[in-house]
Amino acid sequence: MNYIWDNIFRDSHKEKSIRQKIKANFLFQDLSHTELRLLEKIVNVRNYRPGENIFRQGDVGVGMYIITKGTVNIYVEEIVPETGEPKTAHVTQLKEADFFGDLALVEENGRRNASAVAHSECILIGFFKSDLMEITGRNPTAGVKILLRLGEVLGQRLRETTAKIAELKEQNGVTL
Amino acid sequence: MNRVERAVLIERRVKLFFFSASLILLFVVLMEVTNLLVSFLLAFGTYFLMAPAVDYMERKGISRLWATVIPFLALTLAISIGIYLFIPSLTEQVHTLQLKLPQYLDAINKIISHLEQQVGSFINPVFPIEVEGKIEPRISAWASVLLRELPDYLSSSFTILILVPFLTFFMLLDGREFVRGLIGMVPNNFFELVLNLNYQISSQIGGFIRARLIESIVVCLLIWIGLLAIGFPYALVLAIFAATLIIIPYLGPVLGALPAYFISLAGGVNSGQLLGLTLVYLAVHVIDAVVLVPFLVAKIVDLHPVTVVLAIAIGSQMMGILGMIICIPVVATLKVTSAALYRHFTDFRT
Repeated sequence: MNYIWDNIFRDSHKEKSIRQKIKANFLFQDLSHTELRLLEKIVNVRNYRPGENIFRQGDVGVGMYIITKGTVNIYVEEIVPETGEPKTAHVTQLKEADFFGDLALVEENGRRNASAVAHSECILIGFFKSDLMEITGRNPTAGVKILLRLGEVLGQRLRETTAKIAELKEQNGVTL
Repeated sequence: MNRVERAVLIERRVKLFFFSASLILLFVVLMEVTNLLVSFLLAFGTYFLMAPAVDYMERKGISRLWATVIPFLALTLAISIGIYLFIPSLTEQVHTLQLKLPQYLDAINKIISHLEQQVGSFINPVFPIEVEGKIEPRISAWASVLLRELPDYLSSSFTILILVPFLTFFMLLDGREFVRGLIGMVPNNFFELVLNLNYQISSQIGGFIRARLIESIVVCLLIWIGLLAIGFPYALVLAIFAATLIIIPYLGPVLGALPAYFISLAGGVNSGQLLGLTLVYLAVHVIDAVVLVPFLVAKIVDLHPVTVVLAIAIGSQMMGILGMIICIPVVATLKVTSAALYRHFTDFRT
């Protein structure tokens, strides 16, 4: 009997934690309780084993992932101009509550500019372009809230990239 | 291969097996269970027609259940009124047409034999081929099969009448969750590809089916009004026939108009009636080409005429008239799928 009750408790706890993980994410923190309940039904929960590809550089981007458990490595493959050989560079390691791949939500058939590989056992919440379209169609208020936050994230990334370019140009003595 | 890689491989194979098995099972059930394929296709069409209304109501803050129930009841009411108003006259028209069929066929035979003789005398000196007696049996067999099988279709319509609303209701209510569950079975290495394909197919095919159905309904109404206006018999049957065939691009408008001409010619050449018929069909197809298609065209998958003709030939060989009608959405789906797969696998990888 205990076993059955334990399982029921675990399931409801799991669902609750998914909602909490979504709510904790920057993109979804403005959503109301009802909007979160709708979003919870829309998102996809995926499990990955260590070393498994989540997506590869050059793939058509379909959406973003939120890490609810585990760590994810991001790699970029580049061609070395001198040798013409491909070289894989480790860019960063993302941990629980981080999210990645968000640019794909606003790009039309855009390509992934890096590869994401599970570093440990991972549970990811996938939020894709089709999910964004669905939530915008079914609950436009929630859609606008997510899109505004998404705009903020992309704007922040653009600012950081601009600052980085300026820094690199300064280092190399190029005037802006 | 280490322990983790082996586990990933086994997991992928198991998931792929269950995903493929679910799809194959669904396909086999649809093909094997009587009336299920037709019911499923009709439900699919109704789903795409009703989905915007359901989404609209949900946007207004009504729960998904009520947003499904309300338009569903409204449509049921509208269809019931339609059946109450039009089924008696439709049944009467089909019945009269069935009774007069031998008479019409006899008259058509005479016209075709005459035409065959003329064509034969013109062609035979150049190409000594025998055309006489080859066209007419086909047309008469096709026409009698269509009218003889119509009551069978109508008798099986009771099952369809129950299945279609049932399937449509649950497609509207839980369809997305079902598809999500199915995609959830896809192995990780194919997950994004399948998700992307599903997104592209459902958005393009949804638009395609919705556009074609709206076009079909408008054409049905216009032909019905037109034929009533010129006082032509069997207006409703002929309008439904033409509206069903308009789904087939290029050939549909011509095939849809043929029975009316046969009926007209069978009653003796009446130039006034023929002119009226031509005007009605021509006006409707001009409206279709100039107003309806440009208005809805953005949502219609562009198919090459050769593709359409080949698809219709294959469809008619496999499933007869039903095959001719459903082959177009099937080919459109295949086109969208193959284009998405091609883009996914052949484009650059930076």
